[in-house]
Amino acid sequence: MIGAVLLVGGFLAASLPDGYAGSAACASCHASQFASQQRTPMARALESGEQSAILRNHPLLKFREGAYSTSITREGSHSFYAVTDGAQTIRVPLEWAFGVGSVGQTYVLAYNGNWYESRVSYYHTLENLDVTMGHIKDVPRSLEEALGRRIGVAERTECFACHATGEIQAREIHLETLTPGVQCENCHGPAAAHVASMKSANPPVVVPAKLSRLTTEEMSDFCGRCHRTWAKIATDGPHNIRNLRFQPYRLVISKCYDAADPRIRCAACHDPHRDVETRAEAYDKKCLACHSATKVCTVAKKNCVTCHMPKIDFPGAHHTFTDHNIRIVRSGEKYPE
Amino acid sequence: MSIVCLLFVFFAVPLLLYGQFVFFLDVQPPVLKGKPLRLLTAGLVVLSANNAQSQENVLKEANAFYQKGNVEAAIEGYRAYLEIHPEAFEVRSNLGAALARLGRFDQAIAEYRGALALAPDNPGIIANLGLAYYKTGKLTEAAQQWSKAHALYPANRQITMLLADAASHLGDHSQVIALLGPPSGIDPQDLGAAYLLGTSLIAAHRPSDAQALVALVLRRGDSAEARILEGTLELQRGDSSAAVADLERATQMDPKLPNVFSAYGSALLSIGETGRAEAAFRRELESNPNDFLTHLDLGFLLKQNQQYDEALVHLLRALELRPGDIAVRYQIASIHLLTGDLNAAVGELESITHDSPRFIAADVSLTTAYYRLKRKADGDRERALVQKLNAEEQSDAEPALAHPQP
Repeated sequence: MIGAVLLVGGFLAASLPDGYAGSAACASCHASQFASQQRTPMARALESGEQSAILRNHPLLKFREGAYSTSITREGSHSFYAVTDGAQTIRVPLEWAFGVGSVGQTYVLAYNGNWYESRVSYYHTLENLDVTMGHIKDVPRSLEEALGRRIGVAERTECFACHATGEIQAREIHLETLTPGVQCENCHGPAAAHVASMKSANPPVVVPAKLSRLTTEEMSDFCGRCHRTWAKIATDGPHNIRNLRFQPYRLVISKCYDAADPRIRCAACHDPHRDVETRAEAYDKKCLACHSATKVCTVAKKNCVTCHMPKIDFPGAHHTFTDHNIRIVRSGEKYPE
Repeated sequence: MSIVCLLFVFFAVPLLLYGQFVFFLDVQPPVLKGKPLRLLTAGLVVLSANNAQSQENVLKEANAFYQKGNVEAAIEGYRAYLEIHPEAFEVRSNLGAALARLGRFDQAIAEYRGALALAPDNPGIIANLGLAYYKTGKLTEAAQQWSKAHALYPANRQITMLLADAASHLGDHSQVIALLGPPSGIDPQDLGAAYLLGTSLIAAHRPSDAQALVALVLRRGDSAEARILEGTLELQRGDSSAAVADLERATQMDPKLPNVFSAYGSALLSIGETGRAEAAFRRELESNPNDFLTHLDLGFLLKQNQQYDEALVHLLRALELRPGDIAVRYQIASIHLLTGDLNAAVGELESITHDSPRFIAADVSLTTAYYRLKRKADGDRERALVQKLNAEEQSDAEPALAHPQP
């Protein structure tokens, strides 16, 4: 179905990949899910440099690290990422902004035929730049290191697979068919056949897989494709506080996790079509679905998650993350890895 | 033309791991016996019965045929002679060498084994049998033969190198180090030994010794061997960009150096350049078809690309080269897990975790397989085991959290 044009979130995709219908087609029947999902950070997990609100609102961002200075400047509708040591400068167009900025925003840059994860990111709390999470804090040894960390094809594919939709064909990345953000078909799969069957006078109707039918373990693996599965972290790590951001892993190692109990699966608490609920009390009924009212906490009667899912400062993120390892937190305890 | 010459010819075969010619020097010439030949074959000199001189002429002519490259005629001559003199183990060994020269290694192995039945301690035949096994990719059998030869001739450098080469292929790096070490004893001109020893020192996580060896090798100037060792060390240190540059240079300096494309492919894989890595691995296998690591790496890469059938071909070949290897068995099991052959995966993974109780990745995969088979109790037990193993490995990890924030 090459040649169709899609406008989602203001982004004009050059074409749709084979088998894809585009979110606009989904929205024609699933309007409410589409409308609410478009307001989630997931739907805006990737922006072009041109569209990024952060870049538009910050026409000049600066950062200095040892001998190297980094700047992001806005010129017209485009942003440019530059690093200099005073003698030499690398300056490249800023094509892709990853993350909508609730925590921060990192940039993927192309330079000399290679791709780089930007050395510095924008952090919401700072309203400015700092070293990207996961980069070594030491001062860069070269202008190229000051630009960023080189990323290969496989990692680049993983980045876009979780932040965009429709860019992977035959296991290769095709930016020309990319729609930024996690759109309908990223989770539900290519929908062209489904749309065609629904329009047909003579079904058989092609129905995408029902994600609501996934078991707890299957859902953990499904969401974990991007948020990291228990298996991924258990095998490769990190086995330290840096796994705090990987919610499926953290949830699975909770004492109350039960692979066969749907009351503890990801979607029991989170509706992926809606923005994440931030009011602690909203989760109480989820806890009480298992922890009966007759055997409740002796410390508090509400806001369970404030104690049992503490917010923990993530090193280098300038942000606290909710620990999904549900537990009785004891003062001075070692971070449960 | 003596049998010694033939053995020389057969041993004039490049080592698979390192492309230098190796000759076996300590073979005694045969004692030819004067029994009559019974079988005369077309194209060969016709002999009269009971003529010992004629028999010897047949043998000489067969050797001459071999020297001139008419190996088929030589084989016929040897076979004719052996009809009359089946006890002539030297001639049988020559027949093995001729068959090997034509690439008929299975037949060569049979002849060498027949010769060894008559002369079990002949180091030349033992070494040649090992080489025939090596050429067919039966590295374990090759190493066994060369171990025997090494025990008989411990001072023979060629046999030591052959044994070290096989040990390297089989991943027995401690044996390579024991055979060739210490690094300070390596002749910088002997790039083959330096390369073998350096590779094993890196694999054995002895980077300081390996770096010293690189410095030694560099005294004779830049070389592909030095670059590949340096690049592999850089890869081990996590400096992938430098590794790619050095290994790319090594491929340019000596594209025929065994393992150079394999190492380059590994470096490319570390920076995610999977397409170029795959091409490098395939290039390696064109000239080095029995390299275990290349088959394993390519199998792994193809698995990542969801080309499961071809991945299995390479992984099964790797398993033939190193029977029982845990890493290969794990990759095969993970393909079965990915393709939904859950019962096969569980069987393989249970076997792996039994043989290697601290191989956490296998326990993780086994957990997943159990859950997919709805064997929740087994999955829960296995998951708890993984958490316990990881906790033990991380026992010295993070400091206490002072102030968890509400």
